[in-house]
Amino acid sequence: MKMDRSKMGTVAEGGTRTGRAAGVKPGSYLPIQAEVVDIDVESSNTYLLSLRPMDEEDELVAVNYSPGQFLMVSVFGLGECPISIASSPTREPLQICVREAGRITQGIMAARVGDVLGIRGPFGNGFPVGSMRGKNVLIAGGGSGFATLRSLINYIADDREKFKEVTVVYGARTPQDLYFTSEYGSWQAAKIEVGITVDMMDASWKGNVGLVTSLLAEIDPSPGAAALCGPPMMIRAVAKDLLGRGFIEPEIYISLERHMKCGVGKCEHCTMGRYHVCTDGPIFSYDVVGDLI
Amino acid sequence: MTCASAFILRREDLVPLLEELAETLEVVAPVQVEGEAAFATWRGEALALDDKNPLTSPMEFFLPQKEVLFRYVQYSGRYTFSEDPPRARLIFGMRPCDLRALKVIDGIFGADLPDIPYAGRRRSTIIVALNCTTPGEGCFCRSMGSGPGAEGGYDILLTDLGRGYLVEPGSSAGVYILRAHHRHFEEADPGDIKEKERLLALAGDEIVTRGPSLNPEKIREAIDGVDWEEAGRRCLACGGCSLVCPVCHCFSVLDQGVPDGERLRCRDTCILSGFSRMTGGANPRAALGERLRHWYLDKFVYIPEKTGLFGCVGCGRCTRVCLGEVDRWSLFKEAAE
Repeated sequence: MKMDRSKMGTVAEGGTRTGRAAGVKPGSYLPIQAEVVDIDVESSNTYLLSLRPMDEEDELVAVNYSPGQFLMVSVFGLGECPISIASSPTREPLQICVREAGRITQGIMAARVGDVLGIRGPFGNGFPVGSMRGKNVLIAGGGSGFATLRSLINYIADDREKFKEVTVVYGARTPQDLYFTSEYGSWQAAKIEVGITVDMMDASWKGNVGLVTSLLAEIDPSPGAAALCGPPMMIRAVAKDLLGRGFIEPEIYISLERHMKCGVGKCEHCTMGRYHVCTDGPIFSYDVVGDLI
Repeated sequence: MTCASAFILRREDLVPLLEELAETLEVVAPVQVEGEAAFATWRGEALALDDKNPLTSPMEFFLPQKEVLFRYVQYSGRYTFSEDPPRARLIFGMRPCDLRALKVIDGIFGADLPDIPYAGRRRSTIIVALNCTTPGEGCFCRSMGSGPGAEGGYDILLTDLGRGYLVEPGSSAGVYILRAHHRHFEEADPGDIKEKERLLALAGDEIVTRGPSLNPEKIREAIDGVDWEEAGRRCLACGGCSLVCPVCHCFSVLDQGVPDGERLRCRDTCILSGFSRMTGGANPRAALGERLRHWYLDKFVYIPEKTGLFGCVGCGRCTRVCLGEVDRWSLFKEAAE
């Protein structure tokens, strides 16, 4: 299809809106445009992209979200897919962590600084940070699931005195697959206990080897709220371990991943029983989804 | 025209009325398309009103098989988007079951975060419903409480009385249309209303006596007792049931064109194996039996929880198209009354 470029920035016929998208109008499928302003390499197949909405009216998107929420990210011509927000609303810029998985993530990773991506959202419920305040918080991540937890960790670090003991346990396949390694020090400085483990070590690795649950045995976190994201096997193992330590099912929050096309509870791709992961989740408590994962 | 609430449209006046309406609106009506009745834009061809309800439902005009969500044009690395405005449309001959389907979809696409393209089409569509006096063989609308008579949700309601159509407005837009085209209508008398009720009662009895009627509450209970693995072996996973179901609304989104192009929305179905599969390969509903079970659970449990209405309207289309005979009669024998 072809359109007349001389009409750019003006109102064309047929009620056509040009110049910019409709912003974050709920239920609209029009994305807003965001410029890639920075790219960090997190691992061999994972980039951390910093985004800035291009239109002033959309700037609120960059700070108006909760840890645990996600964006529908577009590469025009390839499509749109859900990507969790990796930054904390307490810190600009807005960041997404993208691991190479399919065509669209490849397209996102091919973007260079200055390129434009489409974003819609934020979508989903986010972690219940309000009810986590005043409690011990245990954060357990596995693999690329750690991206959404980094949002929560930095959010807590920036409001640290509102939370009691905060513990992060994180496991990746190899030392090269660990994300956000440059930030662990700042978390520890904020009195967050950080435990890291890998499945397979290499010559340079001096840390833990084994499953995330082995870190839990070592650290022995006090019961409180828990935030989990990772492969289903890891989630099941960690949840079971935490329940044995006195954590209760309604306070174990799990971030789930599903195939999604709309983000607004319509397309039905992400259904899990009666729940839509996009609108009822992606964060569910264990008492709700324990037997579905 | 007086302030009467029911009118008679003579049979010979129907086509002239539609011709007048088609001057300002896109008129959609059941017509013969390749030997089968289907809802399509009416261009003066013979109406297929005496046939059973078309296999393709008029929901196509609210949630099309394929639609352009927006077009994107790239210039200097930035994008310009454009959307098509909804068309002013009149759907003629929509049956009560499909009207109920629309109400269900209103509770999904019109609620929470309303779907903008759907809401736009919904607002710009006039509905002329047709009471079902000649139900099809597989119909069980009476079990689902969605027919054979329409209860609200239309702008104008027609009932075929033989000598003409009984016409009842159901909204201010309907009243406006009747006034604007008043020369086609004459006042109905109380005997016409009685005749409508008689015909609908006959149609209802016909549906009941022809086959077992179903209790949707019993289907809800029966879902857990069905051998879904066995049902999965009979299902060909063709997705035909979802294609014709007026309540099915799953969709997929894809882009066409680089650097300029369009983002398309196409109907999809949870029956297909790749529907829930994630990019990494994990598939939460990998087994066909699980997907079939979800299809029924959605219609008889989840959609009712969300909208207060069953996600099945009793139109019988899924059974008409099923090649594997995985239909509600074989699955839910115990739910028959």
